[in-house]
Amino acid sequence: MKELIITSIAIGVKSLVFIIGMFLLAAYLTWIERKFAGHVQQRPGPLHVGWHGLLQPIADALKVLTKEDIVPQGVDRFLFYLASLLAFVPAIMILAVVPFGEPINIFGYEIKPYITDLNVGLILALAFGSISIYGVIFAGWASNSKYPMIGGLRKAAVLIGYEVALGFAMVGPIMQAGTFSLRGIVEAQQGLWFIIPNILGFIVILFAILAETGRTPFDVQEAEAELVSGYNTEYSAMKFGLFPLAEWYIATFVLSAIAVILFFGGWNGPHIFGALSPFIWFFLKLAMMFMFFLWVHWTLPRYRVDQITELAWKVMLPLSLVNILVVAIWIMIFG
Amino acid sequence: MVKVKYLERPKLTYKERIFFLDFIKGMKITIKNFFRKTITTAYPYEKLTPPKRFRGTHAHRVRDGKEPPSFNVLLKFMEIEEGESRCVACYMCQQACPMPTLFRIEAEQLPNGKKRVTKFDMNLLNCLYCGLCVDACPVDCIIMTDQYEGASYDRKGCVIHLDDMAERGRDFDNRRYNEPDRIWIDDKNREKLWGQIEWT
Repeated sequence: MKELIITSIAIGVKSLVFIIGMFLLAAYLTWIERKFAGHVQQRPGPLHVGWHGLLQPIADALKVLTKEDIVPQGVDRFLFYLASLLAFVPAIMILAVVPFGEPINIFGYEIKPYITDLNVGLILALAFGSISIYGVIFAGWASNSKYPMIGGLRKAAVLIGYEVALGFAMVGPIMQAGTFSLRGIVEAQQGLWFIIPNILGFIVILFAILAETGRTPFDVQEAEAELVSGYNTEYSAMKFGLFPLAEWYIATFVLSAIAVILFFGGWNGPHIFGALSPFIWFFLKLAMMFMFFLWVHWTLPRYRVDQITELAWKVMLPLSLVNILVVAIWIMIFG
Repeated sequence: MVKVKYLERPKLTYKERIFFLDFIKGMKITIKNFFRKTITTAYPYEKLTPPKRFRGTHAHRVRDGKEPPSFNVLLKFMEIEEGESRCVACYMCQQACPMPTLFRIEAEQLPNGKKRVTKFDMNLLNCLYCGLCVDACPVDCIIMTDQYEGASYDRKGCVIHLDDMAERGRDFDNRRYNEPDRIWIDDKNREKLWGQIEWT
């Protein structure tokens, strides 16, 4: 009994740390994105609030929080409120199964830099990823307006395709590691990273993450030029702020973490930074992955909706199946 | 009957399709731009000086000895001191203006029979900065300066008057009267990009 209480308190504290840390990180990811976007377009981005705009996220948060919260007439109030939460909570829930490093000993206490290590971790992450789509669809439906409706439906159409491809592309690393536990997958990559036989799966996952988080080549659900702002057109104040925060930053970050764990060996790397080297390797890989998504986002124009779904079903799904075949042959040859 | 020429969309080769070569091309460009220097100006902290021909807030040239001959003809009938606005209240600018009611020009006759301009107001809220008034002026009096910050907190602040126009004109001529009249400043960068201009 005592052990149970201690465990639950420890997990509670850890979750709180993770959630608050993720919030702060997401706030500063907006700063990174704006800086990156600015420099890609040869302008400096936020510059005047703090040193090189470092206090800009705080100013933005204050602005968004103190804005008037307008709920339009004729919306389905319950779903309207629920949608902003449903978009946001599952995205952050994936963090529960993402390990950031090996357990470390500090002053005799073993500190695990992850909340739980489930043996179905990857499936749980996929499930939460699928739930976060309901947020977008509910937002589109509850807004009682045509643009959010179209945006929500487009997102649904895109995601039905890419969830399948994403799931199949994750099969390769799972087959090699023989486990669904994300920690187990990292430990199986001590020698060779899974990117080597799984290159096709990695490409599929890149596209799937872009589609899932609604980043640019696949941002049909908000398509500014066509749909005003897509599914979040009718939202205002913090409810509006939660959608991009959840989709563009938290979801991209967490899914990049999963991609790094699946293909780039997680925190594996030479121990050149001492005790902190697993964290440094992991965050370095994660940052590079995230920057890659930013880079794609701020380069490419938008695909048409039919092209996206066509790509999902006709290219990405077969590619992920081919990847499974390749990995199976690899396992048969190299064991 | 208009002839329509139909063009086929260029087909992608298999190599381009498989390796997303167009994606890579685009991403090469953005990463190149990412490491370039930014080309913006931090506006309220650094301000660019527009070219001399810029059509900014209006001003009046003053009587300073550089007038065209037409002014010297009219000067017999005018009461204008040295250093005052050259305006002879001929209403040419108002005639040329596409929105004539933005001008309020008044003149009076002095006891010695000469004419004196008492009022020259322009409501710049209605002005479209076309520069026709500048072309119309027979004595080269009304000009447009390089000042572009005409915003104000009230409508009163957007109306300019005889005295401050003369002041602005004096300031503009002091700064830029001798500058050659050109729109572009030819620099090495443009020359490198687009070559030199050749006149026949």
